[in-house]
Amino acid sequence: MPLNEILALVMIGAFFLMLLGGIPVAVCLGVTGFVFGYAGFGPFLFTLLPARVFGVITNYTLLALPLFIFMGIMLEKSKIAEELLDVIGFAMGGLRGGMALAIILVGVLMGAASGVVGATVVTMGLIALGPVLKRGYDTGVACGVICASGTLGQIIPPSLVLILLADIMGESVGTLFAAALFPGLLLSGLFIAYVLVLGLLNPGALPPIPAAERAALSRRDLALKLLRVVLPPIALIVAVLGSIIGGVAAPTEAASMGALGSIVLAILSGRFSLPVLRDAVHGAFITSAMVFLILIFAQPFGLAFRGLGGENLVHDAFGMVPGGLNGQILFLMLLLFVLGFFLEWIEISYIALPLFLPIFMNAGVDMAWIAILVAVNLQTSFLTPPFGWALFFLKGVAPPQVTTGDIYRGVIPFILLQLLGLLMVFTFPGLALWLPNAIGW
Amino acid sequence: QSSFNWKMTNAYGPGSPFYVEGPGSPIDFCKKVEAMSDGRITIQHFAAGELIPALEGFDAVRSGAVEMNAANAYFWAGKIPAAQYFTTVPFGMNFQGMNAWLYHGGGMALWDELYEPLGLKALPMGNTGVQMTGWFRDPIESVADFQNLKMRIPGLAGKVYAALGVDVKLLPGGEIFPALERGVIDAAEFVGPYQDRRLGLQNAAKYYYTTGWHEPSNVTELLMNAEAWASLPADLQEIVKTAAMACNLESHTWCEANNAEALRDLVDNYGVQAQVLPDAVVSELKAATDTVLAEFAAQDEQVKKVHDAFMAFKAEHQAWAGVSEKPLYGLPG
Amino acid sequence: MLPLIKTLSDGAHGTVRVIGNIAAWTGLALVLLVAFNVLSRYLFSFGSVALQEAEWHLMAVAALFGMSYGLNQGGEVRVDIAYARFPPRLQLAVDLIGNLLMAAVALIIAWLCIAYVSASYSINEGSPDPGGLGYRYLLKATMPVAFALLALQGLAMTGHSLLALLHPHPNKS
Ligand code: NA
Ligand code: NA
Repeated sequence: MPLNEILALVMIGAFFLMLLGGIPVAVCLGVTGFVFGYAGFGPFLFTLLPARVFGVITNYTLLALPLFIFMGIMLEKSKIAEELLDVIGFAMGGLRGGMALAIILVGVLMGAASGVVGATVVTMGLIALGPVLKRGYDTGVACGVICASGTLGQIIPPSLVLILLADIMGESVGTLFAAALFPGLLLSGLFIAYVLVLGLLNPGALPPIPAAERAALSRRDLALKLLRVVLPPIALIVAVLGSIIGGVAAPTEAASMGALGSIVLAILSGRFSLPVLRDAVHGAFITSAMVFLILIFAQPFGLAFRGLGGENLVHDAFGMVPGGLNGQILFLMLLLFVLGFFLEWIEISYIALPLFLPIFMNAGVDMAWIAILVAVNLQTSFLTPPFGWALFFLKGVAPPQVTTGDIYRGVIPFILLQLLGLLMVFTFPGLALWLPNAIGW
Repeated sequence: QSSFNWKMTNAYGPGSPFYVEGPGSPIDFCKKVEAMSDGRITIQHFAAGELIPALEGFDAVRSGAVEMNAANAYFWAGKIPAAQYFTTVPFGMNFQGMNAWLYHGGGMALWDELYEPLGLKALPMGNTGVQMTGWFRDPIESVADFQNLKMRIPGLAGKVYAALGVDVKLLPGGEIFPALERGVIDAAEFVGPYQDRRLGLQNAAKYYYTTGWHEPSNVTELLMNAEAWASLPADLQEIVKTAAMACNLESHTWCEANNAEALRDLVDNYGVQAQVLPDAVVSELKAATDTVLAEFAAQDEQVKKVHDAFMAFKAEHQAWAGVSEKPLYGLPG
Repeated sequence: MLPLIKTLSDGAHGTVRVIGNIAAWTGLALVLLVAFNVLSRYLFSFGSVALQEAEWHLMAVAALFGMSYGLNQGGEVRVDIAYARFPPRLQLAVDLIGNLLMAAVALIIAWLCIAYVSASYSINEGSPDPGGLGYRYLLKATMPVAFALLALQGLAMTGHSLLALLHPHPNKS
């Protein structure tokens, strides 16, 4: 094995060591990138780093990130979100996990409005984590539901992942959007089923609102309250989704309708004030910056991995795969899953997919199906500890008592559900291929 | 130094036919150079996003961190405005005219003159041929239909449309489909039938107009660091030049062959209406283009020099094409 | 020596806070701008290339200057599985190393950015789109400034963790 490939492996190891030693994520990425890149190819290639950083901060599709985060924080500061989840908890009566179901539903709707990884997870974390913890949810369960629901946006169209995959795999964006719809809903369904089952098996983890408290609220009052608190956020979702479907805004810009709408809602609810606005502005600024900090410091790492020829490691492993199409697909899935432990999804797509494309194309496999398998897999990679983006983003907005351990523990069942979903799409390609064929996309 | 291990970055994403891989593509160019030089030059290719973002190749090559970049020179319009003329300009020249100008009409010398002070050297390495006007949700019958039309159209052509009342929207490639499909924009320009079908635009709009007035051809630029270029021995320089020339031809013929099939497929199987813009509309576009280009040339000495040379050659070539190619197209099929 | 470190660290911390406090409002400007662009296009078919480009210009500035302010307000993210079980002095040592490395990386990036900006300045880089925002090098020039500010914040935090490590005080601020 060439020296540089060994360095790439050691770099990954050093990154994990630093990460587990409690050094901030951004620092781990930056330091290992610079040190091992310098050892392998010297200072020269790092002249490309500013270009990569500039690419991140001016990336048009990332606009949804600060916009959605602003919306989330505004809803949080104006207490609209908290009331919403609370009232849903009341409305679900004695059903365990009612608020978790609401979170999944919001995840689906937010997912249908956005396709940027950080945006939905952070927004959901801001909106939902506090209220459900206050209602006695198990921290791990709460984090798991939020992370998993927050990443649904990757598979439910529109989605940045699907747009990139369309480009790499030579499929039209529309075909992949259509193909992803049912698998996305399938995953949501699996999450819902899991929450219901968990409510039966482990009632303490997602308790309903105490009966006494529920009894204190008359049905009439509940109905009125429901109307009062549910309508505004629904209006907001309608504003975002509606502006995409109604042709008012392109997917990225639609987030601004949500952000603007959250200000309007705060004003209408009578909770708007200059201090609230200032808090929201500062909170959104810090939270967005935390996501950007990690994205930016991931650049030296990505540059070093490429510069060291890290993709050759993958090539080498690929050479050892036994033949057979299913073997190749299985290997691809395994590879994406493993790379997801330490690389971000764009890097993964660029490194792994080009290897396989010629094989699949020659075998005449439907590329839309492969793309959806890949998309579900990448979505799982957002959740895999230790380096799942969703996990860090949630950690960034979680109250201090929530530990990374809680989050890791909480997402494991959802990772398994994702894998189950993946297996289903693998076994029944029609889940992905029926819709695009039916509507002729 | 007897062997060279170079890097090439690309403004287009992985897998993209013509722009990245396939006959006459940048990856094909790398392979050709390696084969022709018996491995004395190897070029490692990086698609957009693999090493640097799409439009950062200019700076990367200039700094010397990579030796080569594949793109279109008009992407550098903000850095060196005259570079646009070495890709295409509205109502410019087709494949024959453009290459005649570059190879034999003084175009290359001007290109060198423009890039030399920046430590750069460029060669043409591909051409899409004539592009399509774009996809419209509603038919264009007169120039009045441009009023308040929302269109995704970058560059100078965008400025021409804007002069006729079009509202120009900037969108990344991936968002063209969802925006056009939902009517956020009413029209979008991309490349030609083969590439557009890949984006699925036929599912978003049905009126597919032609004349290619905005991009009568479109040159792929091989950009090189001048020092790296100068470090190559004469025989290897010749190999690079020849491979670029071969790709220029091969990429264009590949487009001609594949666009034919793609357009027929779009019309036969997707209900696409392929139409030519009405003459009256085209003449209004021409008038607006003259104004826009005149303003553009007046901004900058370099632009004026290249503009004048380009237009002088175009006038002469057009006169010849008018008696050679044009009647040929009028022959009974 | 220690009082000097304290004064410098406090001063750096305060500087970053003041700058961040002002820069934070770019976020609101971004919301209003994108919403304006969407609504004016939909309602009046009015659009401006410059205003569309201003969207990601604002995002770039917010992302860059948010980094240092985010750290200033305690926004860094770490895996705390082992860290949470470390004795306090080991935690402080990890903090010290992390903060120092943050400052070092930020400084290197700031330094790398200078050549990138000067390449842009030397050709008076503007927008590739007609009607776009000019002076692209000004936008790029915010990169070294923001990373220098991030390094400053890193140093301030290094100073503070050094002080905490050397002077374990029962009621550390
Ligand atoms: Na989505
Ligand atoms: Na084009």
